Amino acid sequence: MSSSAMETEAPDLVCQLENVQGLVDALSSVRWKRHQDAVLELSEHGIVLIVEETGCLQAKVYLKRELFLSYEYNAQGRPRFGVSLSLFVDCLNTFSVPGHSSMIRIQYPGPDMQVLLKSVDSLDASIYAEIRTRIPDTISWDYNFQPAGTTPLSFTVKSAALKEAIEDLEWPGSSIQITLQPSPPSVTFKGEGHGDLQIDFMYYVNTDLLAAFHCDHQVSYKYKYKFLRATTSNIPSSVIKDNRGSKFTVGRGGMLKVQHLVSIAKQSIPHSLMDSAGYQPPSRIAFVEFFVKPEEIDDSRND
Amino acid sequence: MKFKAFLTENGVNLLEKRFLPALEKMGKICHLYLTKDHAIFLHNLLNGDGIQCIAQFRKEALFDDYRISSQNDDRVAFAIDISLLHRAVRSSVSICSEFGGGPTANRLQIKLVKKLPPNCTQALPFLTFETKGYKSAVIQDVPISKPLSRAQVLELQSALDMAQDMPQTLVQVPDLNQLQNFVDRLKHVGDVLNVSISKYGDLHIQISTTLITLGAEFQKLLVVGEQANGPAEDQNLSAQTRSARAISRGEAQSVLVTVRHFAKSLQCHLAKPDCAFYGIGSQGACLTVIFQFFIPGSRQNDKSISLHCRLPVLDPGEG
Repeated sequence: MSSSAMETEAPDLVCQLENVQGLVDALSSVRWKRHQDAVLELSEHGIVLIVEETGCLQAKVYLKRELFLSYEYNAQGRPRFGVSLSLFVDCLNTFSVPGHSSMIRIQYPGPDMQVLLKSVDSLDASIYAEIRTRIPDTISWDYNFQPAGTTPLSFTVKSAALKEAIEDLEWPGSSIQITLQPSPPSVTFKGEGHGDLQIDFMYYVNTDLLAAFHCDHQVSYKYKYKFLRATTSNIPSSVIKDNRGSKFTVGRGGMLKVQHLVSIAKQSIPHSLMDSAGYQPPSRIAFVEFFVKPEEIDDSRND
Repeated sequence: MKFKAFLTENGVNLLEKRFLPALEKMGKICHLYLTKDHAIFLHNLLNGDGIQCIAQFRKEALFDDYRISSQNDDRVAFAIDISLLHRAVRSSVSICSEFGGGPTANRLQIKLVKKLPPNCTQALPFLTFETKGYKSAVIQDVPISKPLSRAQVLELQSALDMAQDMPQTLVQVPDLNQLQNFVDRLKHVGDVLNVSISKYGDLHIQISTTLITLGAEFQKLLVVGEQANGPAEDQNLSAQTRSARAISRGEAQSVLVTVRHFAKSLQCHLAKPDCAFYGIGSQGACLTVIFQFFIPGSRQNDKSISLHCRLPVLDPGEG
């Protein structure tokens, strides 16, 4: 690579973000263990962060360009690079000042292929960081999620209730069976191990809890408890506070997709620049998706 | 060897609400050094490693009717567990407050005693708190070490004298809470902090590991001591370049300290100082932080209270 040529060119990406804490929340939600490597993929549409574990669990955080105050993308293709997720999140966290809106500028690449971060709100005090990146490992892209039939098999449940249910299932043990059935419309989480625990979400009994439900035939798959737990263990408190829902979709072969919505917006007044431009800020939401492979495939019941 | 005094209401407030919580963070055990005019809390002055912390009070700041005598020039020093001392002061306060808003003079006496504890054959030294409440009187004995010998007291005094040297340049920390918050988060990123301070009023702190460089720069801070005007051409440079250039011109110094020590020194804000200054000791011997206290209701320095810490520096080879 010719570094002299690179220096003259504009960096692949320069963007500014208003609320660092929102970004910290969104990225923390896919942080299920201490040392994790993440891959970031940049495009004209935004930034995607991907984390995965042992070919059974993958998580993606989608940061659309609309979330950023400015987003200057100059690259050809889609640049990808690897960083340590924990370091990236801990580093971003130092930029977040409680009670302030902390604005940062993110640039990639720096002169030595680093990610450069800089606080931009105050003149006399500034925080900066350079995070070394690495060439990403090849990601096993077989998380290709496909619908399991013509009708989607999905349900939306209050994130807080979901988190609580999965925490409760820790006791019976290692493997959790999730069953969707059309009549009565319900979802069942069942753990067997040191004992049995079954948690039912009935669609008609409590529509607040189970907000949406689509299922035309019964399906049932088992998932490793630790992977299910990873999908909810770090749901940011803002998600619970905003009373949001999480969506579960069962795809072909029992692949489970879990989606959360994490707010990146400042809690206070909308940004003045946005208002003066007469432009309504799009809903400032980062999408977080987890893909969990089932433990064993029960062919007789599906498709 | 005798020591007896009454804690004033102001003294109790200073200790209970402000200084003891801060000193507790510096380390469990400290030396309490009492002289004719001062009471001084000293952390890590006799053993080399660890953050040195010195909190000095004129006797009038804490006590009434202060009496001390010893064959060593009326000086007494001993080691004491700060958390036990804090507990004793706290419970004395709750007993005193039984009185309601009445006069509080001479109700909280502290003195040095030797007592034979139950199941012991030897008398042990204690710092005793005698509190007289409305309905009750309570005596609390806080165990202390054997008083320091004449030689040890001399050693402590000379360590104290050595610890008084002032850095040539001090910069005022703009917002202690903000800095503490930042440093608390830094702890997750690395262990060693590079601190550089310039005569232009820049405080620049940076962590640098193989994976990450993370830093914060505060500019245009109030400078006490030697100062200089920053060259205009440096204004648009990065914090790192600016620090490096100031150091090469001899107008800044930098030292390495552990993030843990730096964070600890910021815990002194529990003592509610009115301002704080950082400076680097001569030849980069230590990083000094000095806290100042104003006379309540004024912007004048309260000379009867002083608090400062000295952070041991790391050999650049270790960083």
